[in-house]
Amino acid sequence: MTTVEQDPRGRKGRLATVESTLSADEHQEVRRSTGLEMTGISKRFGGLQALQDISIGVRPGQVLALCGANGAGKSTLIRILAGAEHADAGQVLLDGHEARIGSPSDARAHGLSFVHQELNLVPKFTGLQNMAMGAVPSSRLGLLNLRSLRRRALEVGQQLGYQVDLDTPVEELSVSDRWMVSLGRSLMTPARFVAMDEPTASFTDEEAERLFRVIDQLTSSGVGILYVSHRLEEVLQVSDEVTVLRNGTLVGSYASSELTVGSLTRHIVGHDVHALSHSAVPTSGDRPIVRLKVTGLARPPAVVDASFEIARGEILGIAGLVGAGRTELARLLIGADHATAGEMVLDGAAFAPRSPHHALRAGVALVPEERRSQGLILTESVESNLAMAAHGAARSMLTPHRPRSSRRTAEALVKRLGVKTSGVGAPMHSLSGGNQQKVVVAKYLRTEPTVLILDEPTVGVDVGAREELYDLIGSLAEEGMSVIVISSDFEELAVCHRVVVMRHGSVVAEVPGHLATKNRLTELCFGLDDDHPQENS
Amino acid sequence: MTTTTTPETLVTERQRTIDGTWRWLGRYGTLMMLALLIVVVGILEPSTFLTSDNLISILNQGSLSAIIAIGLTFALVSGEFDLSIGNAASLAAVVSCTLMVDHGISIPLALLVAVLVGLVMGLINGLVVTKLNVNALVATLGVGSLAVGVNFAIANGQPVTPPNVDSLLDISLNTFLGIPYTVYIMVVVAIGAWLLLNRTVLGQSMQAVGGNPVAASLAGIRVERVKIIAFIVCSMLAGLTGILLVTRTGAAAASAGDSYLLAAFAAAFFGSAVMRDGEFHVIGTVVGVLTVSTGFNAIALLGLDTYYQFLFQGLVLIVGVGVGSVARKRATY
Repeated sequence: MTTVEQDPRGRKGRLATVESTLSADEHQEVRRSTGLEMTGISKRFGGLQALQDISIGVRPGQVLALCGANGAGKSTLIRILAGAEHADAGQVLLDGHEARIGSPSDARAHGLSFVHQELNLVPKFTGLQNMAMGAVPSSRLGLLNLRSLRRRALEVGQQLGYQVDLDTPVEELSVSDRWMVSLGRSLMTPARFVAMDEPTASFTDEEAERLFRVIDQLTSSGVGILYVSHRLEEVLQVSDEVTVLRNGTLVGSYASSELTVGSLTRHIVGHDVHALSHSAVPTSGDRPIVRLKVTGLARPPAVVDASFEIARGEILGIAGLVGAGRTELARLLIGADHATAGEMVLDGAAFAPRSPHHALRAGVALVPEERRSQGLILTESVESNLAMAAHGAARSMLTPHRPRSSRRTAEALVKRLGVKTSGVGAPMHSLSGGNQQKVVVAKYLRTEPTVLILDEPTVGVDVGAREELYDLIGSLAEEGMSVIVISSDFEELAVCHRVVVMRHGSVVAEVPGHLATKNRLTELCFGLDDDHPQENS
Repeated sequence: MTTTTTPETLVTERQRTIDGTWRWLGRYGTLMMLALLIVVVGILEPSTFLTSDNLISILNQGSLSAIIAIGLTFALVSGEFDLSIGNAASLAAVVSCTLMVDHGISIPLALLVAVLVGLVMGLINGLVVTKLNVNALVATLGVGSLAVGVNFAIANGQPVTPPNVDSLLDISLNTFLGIPYTVYIMVVVAIGAWLLLNRTVLGQSMQAVGGNPVAASLAGIRVERVKIIAFIVCSMLAGLTGILLVTRTGAAAASAGDSYLLAAFAAAFFGSAVMRDGEFHVIGTVVGVLTVSTGFNAIALLGLDTYYQFLFQGLVLIVGVGVGSVARKRATY
């Protein structure tokens, strides 16, 4: 066992060991009767066929990864399994018998647990209080028995091989610990299968590694895992099998050991993905035309000293670790917060926006980090969402709103950005993550900004939509727009002409785009400079 | 191929029909309630209910509730609450009538004063909510209580009867083409409010702020300003309701407007289930007011005791909003 665990693909090795101890007959028996299957699942939303005859299967102790572009139908499939959505056709089988899942509590009764993208934790509650929510009252009077809940929570911690702090309010925990609380909560009643939707979207590499160890623990206790992620490298590392969906149809299921990131990407997108590239920055004479110059901008403690400049038609990346002050810097640039020191010059004139309204009017727009909570009104139509920033940028609030022209503009934007929706009247929540992100970007493009800041534009966005977004960024820059991309995915920053690195609230380094490799940026983010290579170990 | 797709298609079709039925019920159930009410009372009281005089009387009865409820709709659309509208109406009436008694101001000026009292109260509500960051329920409850205090300080709790009471009463009694002036005022207010909410950037911004204030702010919408304006519009219409009430009763009683608070909330919430999925809107609010005043009228025609009015109003609110919300939930499955 120990040798297997040191193998980076240890999980598959171990599974093989387990199976090989069974005789051929037993093996057959296991394959036929145990496990979770979804067969022939179809689901339609209005005019959009979200799922068409999809079949997947997870065996106990196995990790099945579900991959696909945004809008491919992964979330819908999970929601059907969770009882939050009802399939038009098809069935769910547990150990060969049909399991009717009409509601989330049915799913739970069948031993199916879920950790969704939105964790739904109560921020002020402790880890234990959050884990107790939804747990069955254990004393006779129907009261929560805290002692037995704590015992159960500790058992769950043991099962996971990782114990989160049960007594700290979850708002004080790190993102990954919050996620672990959510996982713990889903296991308070024993689970046979756990579905994880985009667990590592905002994890550091270390935190992701810790999750993989937890997954190892879970599978070795016989739990089957359904793993949804856009990070293809980690999908290949953690899963035994990958099922790929594209546009609501099944592309196929593959053994992870036979896939590479390249081949998986091809299955997901349906064609080869070309490398990210960019054009040259337009210059006047031999020097680029400076659009925005930021000098000594500060708002302690998050932003201490930020200086950089960006030219017309330039794509500037901002790299940094979580907490380096990148989002806070972006908020200063658009006047959502106010700097305590420093100055900005936009197109040769002093720029000190009092509010996002003033920044937008001056041509500086921010596509915020959290698209659902900061970018969209999920219950409103695509059209209303697309109109929001245009209304925000209006000089007078008594400006007339013309529904017909607003609709036409919305339809044109949807077409230009290739947003997949049944129509501009469709409610925002009916769109997939990547398409929602396109709407947020389109909303700001409608105000024709000269400086567009994108904060983590591709979190939870699949490779296909990511490519489209970067193509869009490239063409916007070619048209002369200055684009600032904040990203924790350093490979993505290769698209930039230049990358600046933030550490502890200050801009500490600047790297030309062609030298901005993942390794180089990571070193700079951690403050390991070239003179002290020994710190690296 | 056909043998496998047919049952699937059937399931889908059936589910879609069920979904469609629920969705229809969610949006139009409230209108069905109003239609049913009209048909039933029309059958029970054919000679009195379905006459043009009675229909005008229903409109007239509902016009003041409609104006104050339309005002409230602005606050609700912006994601806020206003519990001070009843107090604002009472205060506006008392202040303008006192000025008529003490300084002999003219009727048009008195109307203007009433609206200005509303404006000031709305401004205070808005500032307390946005700048002091006080929850709207608490803020408007507090400001409402302040208004009651000011009201009693001015008039000592006694009704104020303006000197030119007859010409004031004329506003309510006089008609144009057989329809009372107050009905025209209501129609103008409703049209103006609809245009403001649906055909201006301000109205669209209010809806955005009510939907997601963080996203609205990052989209450049001046959230605080929008909310303050919503509170101001709300209280101004409450002030207008207060002075119009004087044209009906002939005097400004210290707490005459207070009873409109509940009626306005009932109408606006009932209206949020009219043709929409739980969004507040002007037409819905007007339908809500008309449903309640039709019911009140029917109760009077049928010779029932007045306490039935309260039973009816409560029932309409619960059933209207309840049916809408249950139906929406069913339709999503």
